[in-house]
Amino acid sequence: MKKRASIIGGAAAIAATFVVFVIPFIFIVLMAFKDRQQSALRDFSWPTGFHLWENVFEVVKTRNWMMITAFINSSIITVVSVTLLVIFAAMVGYVLARRRTRWNGLIEFLILAGLMVPPAVVPTIWLLQGLKLFGTLHGMILVEVAYNLPFSIILYRAFVSTIPRDLDEAAIIDGARPLDVFFRVVLPLLWPVTVTNIVVQSVGIFNDFTNPLYYLPGNANATVQLTLYNFQSQFSTAYNLLFTNILLITIPPLLVFLFFNRQIVAGMTAGAVKG
Amino acid sequence: MAGLELKQLRKNYGKVEVIKGIDLTIEHGEFVVFVGPSGCGKSTLLRMIAGLEDISGGELRIGDKVVNAVEPRDRGIAMVFQSYALYPHMTVYDNVGFGLKLARTPKEVRDQKIREAARILQMEHLLDRKPSQLSGGQRQRVAIGRAIVRQPEVFLFDEPLSNLDAALRVDMRMEISKLHNDLGATMIYVTHDQVEAMTLADKIVVLDGGVVQQVGAPIELYQRPANLFVAGFIGSPKMNFVSVSADSVSGDIATVSGPDVVGVPVTLPSRKVAPGDKLTLGVRPHDLVVAASGSIVGRVGLVERLGNETIVNLELPSGASWLAVLEGDQALKRGESLALDVDPAKALLFDDAGQAIPR
Ligand SMILES: Nc1ncnc2c1ncn2[C@@H]1O[C@H](COP(=O)(O)OP(=O)(O)OP(=O)(O)O)[C@@H](O)[C@H]1O
Ligand SMILES: [Mg+2]
Repeated sequence: MKKRASIIGGAAAIAATFVVFVIPFIFIVLMAFKDRQQSALRDFSWPTGFHLWENVFEVVKTRNWMMITAFINSSIITVVSVTLLVIFAAMVGYVLARRRTRWNGLIEFLILAGLMVPPAVVPTIWLLQGLKLFGTLHGMILVEVAYNLPFSIILYRAFVSTIPRDLDEAAIIDGARPLDVFFRVVLPLLWPVTVTNIVVQSVGIFNDFTNPLYYLPGNANATVQLTLYNFQSQFSTAYNLLFTNILLITIPPLLVFLFFNRQIVAGMTAGAVKG
Repeated sequence: MAGLELKQLRKNYGKVEVIKGIDLTIEHGEFVVFVGPSGCGKSTLLRMIAGLEDISGGELRIGDKVVNAVEPRDRGIAMVFQSYALYPHMTVYDNVGFGLKLARTPKEVRDQKIREAARILQMEHLLDRKPSQLSGGQRQRVAIGRAIVRQPEVFLFDEPLSNLDAALRVDMRMEISKLHNDLGATMIYVTHDQVEAMTLADKIVVLDGGVVQQVGAPIELYQRPANLFVAGFIGSPKMNFVSVSADSVSGDIATVSGPDVVGVPVTLPSRKVAPGDKLTLGVRPHDLVVAASGSIVGRVGLVERLGNETIVNLELPSGASWLAVLEGDQALKRGESLALDVDPAKALLFDDAGQAIPR
């Protein structure tokens, strides 16, 4: 009986996952294969012809190859921001978990505040302009790092306390300077959280729509999510192109997941059995 | 060459003083063991020597250099932790070679030193494994190997064997002892285990409450404990105590009596005792012998017959409980009365401040 119940439960879970995650994706793929007339119907029908390559070419070349620029911009922003996030968040998490001071409470409060208080757009733009960073990629990178740092720190902080302090001390005795202890002993051991961080933050930053919209105006600075606007207007929307666009910009996050999938699972079970 | 000298060494955490002024000299090449009850500050003292804890007061010399403010890596020490503290993400080879790598030792030299350490510890076949693929004893070997390659002047061990099972502990104990002979380095070793302390040490330091109670060779501590604490702490089973007062002193012999004992003679050539003095008599369970006209009489409680010896719980008239370890097999019954005697040269007397009265 128990076994049967668990099979039914499993089947229900798979079905639910299918409806919520897979069906929309199939819809996107199907739409990307259609021509303009058929896609305008916006229904779940089989494509009448094979128009994928036309659509892709059309999407990429629109607005003077904006898609290419957007991919380059988004990749730079994502890679640099995530690298900085991982290093800074791990460092802060490490120090916060290891060194107990009077200020810890205040610092933790500020981190939580950073998580909860909504970002103020106008003052941020004002500040960026003052720093001559408004509308530049590095300005955007700083904004992404600042907005996502609290979450990453919290992820790291909890995990650092599971690494025995003896390891730090053994390294110190072995002659490690503070940066050696961090980069050669602690950071490698934080790999499971680092993977989680990389996946969550890179997908989040790559797919970010609003922040680039506010802080990164101009065609030369377009990021992938903003290219969606190319095919959407008040009067006419080319749905086949829109969905081809969606399909194209979904591929990188998908690759990240596929690449780290095994490691995420391995990471989650790594510390489970103390050996 | 590196001896150590501790001068009035102190440590406090906020207002709590944990190490209360320790003076100690350790010669080069000595094997020194710190023992004491849990929480007495053994680990803290060792970590102060290692440089993992700041020194709140006093002076620490290693060799002839004051090292209070010297970084651990420059103190010429290596430490083996109770938890082994191996780096889980590195192979045994890299674990052992980590310190050399940090010191930018050339690759060939490093390789040679790592293999040499592996040879000494007989773990050449383990070099490619990760720590998670090792048994407890093997991990401990790796931890010791990591200490050896640094070629330190002083080895520090914090209860290195307490996570191992009894048989392995005996093996590792002998290996550490052999290592000490081979390397000739100074070793400081913290343990709870009496047997480890007695067998390994050239010199035992008994600590209690952050204060040194006595320093001396193992046998000296056993035979001539400086005070009640050391007498009770060293030796297993524990020494029996009873309060007495001196009856008479004649020649080398003082005779003491109390509510539980009558007329026990104790050899005391120094004659520091006057009749009427309040004292504590201490007798080791192994020094008690059955004697029909014995001066110590009690009721037999639990009896453990081990064949070669018999361990008897004895209830004295005042209700105090003593332990006697008697030679050979003794068929004793619960509740029967047993009279015991003690060799005057083996009984110990302590004054009312708890200090031993020297012979
Ligand atoms: N960080 C700290 N803050 C406050 N007190 C501390 C701290 N670390 C240790 N102590 C106190 O210092 C005392 C000595 O601790 P220590 O670890 O040296 O004991 P120990 O002799 O090694 O005991 P054990 O045999 O159980 O390992 C203990 O009473 C402990 O409570
Ligand atoms: Mg300890």
